[in-house]
Amino acid sequence: MILSNDDIQSIWLTIKLASVVTAILLILGTPIAWWLARSKSRLKGVIGAVVALPLVLPPSVLGFYLLLAMGPNGPMGWLTSSIGITLPFTFWGLALASVFYSLPFMVQPLQNAFESIGDRPLEVAATLGASRLDAFFTVALPLARPGFLTAAIMTFAHTVGEFGVVLMIGGNIPGVTRVASVQIYDHVEALEYAQAHQMAAVMLLFSFLVLLALYAWRPNALNMTRRD
Amino acid sequence: MNLSMNVKKSFGSFTLSANATVSGDRVGIFGVSGSGKSTLVSMLAGLLKPDSGEIVLDGECLFSSDRRINVRPEKRRIAMVFQQHSLFSHLNVKHNLLYGFKRCSPENRSIDFDAMVGVLNLEELLGREVINLSGGEKQRVALGRAILANPRLLLMDEPLSALDDSLRFQIIPYLRSVSEQFGIPYLFISHSLIEMRLMTDSALVFEKGNMVEQVNSEQLARNRMGQSHVGYINLLQLGRPSESAGLFAYPWGAGQLLLSEGSNRDKSMAELSSKDIILFKQHPEAISARNLLECSVRSLFSSGRKIGVELECGGNSLIAEVVQDAVNELGIVPGSTIYAAVKASAFRMLPGA
Repeated sequence: MILSNDDIQSIWLTIKLASVVTAILLILGTPIAWWLARSKSRLKGVIGAVVALPLVLPPSVLGFYLLLAMGPNGPMGWLTSSIGITLPFTFWGLALASVFYSLPFMVQPLQNAFESIGDRPLEVAATLGASRLDAFFTVALPLARPGFLTAAIMTFAHTVGEFGVVLMIGGNIPGVTRVASVQIYDHVEALEYAQAHQMAAVMLLFSFLVLLALYAWRPNALNMTRRD
Repeated sequence: MNLSMNVKKSFGSFTLSANATVSGDRVGIFGVSGSGKSTLVSMLAGLLKPDSGEIVLDGECLFSSDRRINVRPEKRRIAMVFQQHSLFSHLNVKHNLLYGFKRCSPENRSIDFDAMVGVLNLEELLGREVINLSGGEKQRVALGRAILANPRLLLMDEPLSALDDSLRFQIIPYLRSVSEQFGIPYLFISHSLIEMRLMTDSALVFEKGNMVEQVNSEQLARNRMGQSHVGYINLLQLGRPSESAGLFAYPWGAGQLLLSEGSNRDKSMAELSSKDIILFKQHPEAISARNLLECSVRSLFSSGRKIGVELECGGNSLIAEVVQDAVNELGIVPGSTIYAAVKASAFRMLPGA
């Protein structure tokens, strides 16, 4: 198997994108998941539905609205352009879109993990003198550790497999936004089936190994339906 | 401990109402399931906010709906031991024990880690993961963890109910050490009359969300004798037994009792239900029960439709349970002599007690 420089570059970009998105979502998704797991607010259903939207929404729909939002007339675009940053067709625009797209893959496993802890350990911690923040870091986070690993793997793997949103927001710029899934599409468009096969095989093997590892470690880890 | 509370809390059609002033170091909260005991202790610990009222502990207001005071649970210095041990599964035994200790300000740390470990016999467990502990070991660790938080009040919410009988009576001496060894006052919550008597001096009695009685724990057991399917449980301190014609003869005060169950300990505790004592007006000619005690009647008390007869048998006390007709037929009055017969198999040894 011989991969071209463009192929390797797209794989590297894919790994970079998935890593960045996973890191951002670990930070953003944790408080959202915690709130969804613990809150009794009426807004909980609404926020939960918004978080889960990417699971059922066609990627092109999500990509279209994100493109509008990031454009010069959109709220995000207006905000970022005021500090000299352009998002569409850049790596960071792609990363931001991927954060929205992969949000449920981070939040839902974390929410499940936090919910499974229950109230009691946190109540015990409180009666032993721990503040809410203290109990969160010393009790909730360690007890939810398996959920964090599941969430991180799911988010990483899902970001690797993105196509629709990537194409809408990032386009197809070599070294900037052309990730592995787009590279395969390009090979097929150019009738380069051998190269497409090689890239597809790499992606297939990667996805299979990730899921195999996850299932071997936690057989019930994947409890959401994927639509892409 | 001086605790005064006057709180209300409603859940749908259920309303808990508690108005009491409590003093003493070993106080019980007694009631059947659903009577509101756990709701009350959750409010005392600050885990549940009362709808209205006030809670004052040792002069400090912990909650007041009028003054909008609600001290956070971590600031109350009220620790809890729950029905289920609730140990932190990601920490080993030692780190579980130290969780509250580390969060206790140095000026409030009066309990030494090593001393606590010694009293609760936890030396061997310190390095172990909590998932590898037995139910009794877990409850001892949970107790030690709560003690080391140096609370000014310990709430024990049915800490024995998840344990089987043999473990239950092994744990009781450790629970009692909270007050006896470490000087920490406690509120002990239970629906068991025998646990109430072993663990507390007085009790608040709850029924359907209302506090109906504040009573001495011994008196509570007598009051409830007539309603209880096990009657009044006599607790007998026995010495080391010797074998006697297929039975075991235990020293009991100045006398002795024959039991069918043996023991290799110097001191044992056995329980005997008031229902298992048969009274005779005169010494029977022959009887199959192996224990026949000559007793004098100390007092009588009524409990529901039953009459409790408090007996003094060779310096030991026993309570038997009869109906009013039996009292009349036997002519039982305080000061009269009566014979009490008990089968050797009617006693039940309490493991570890």
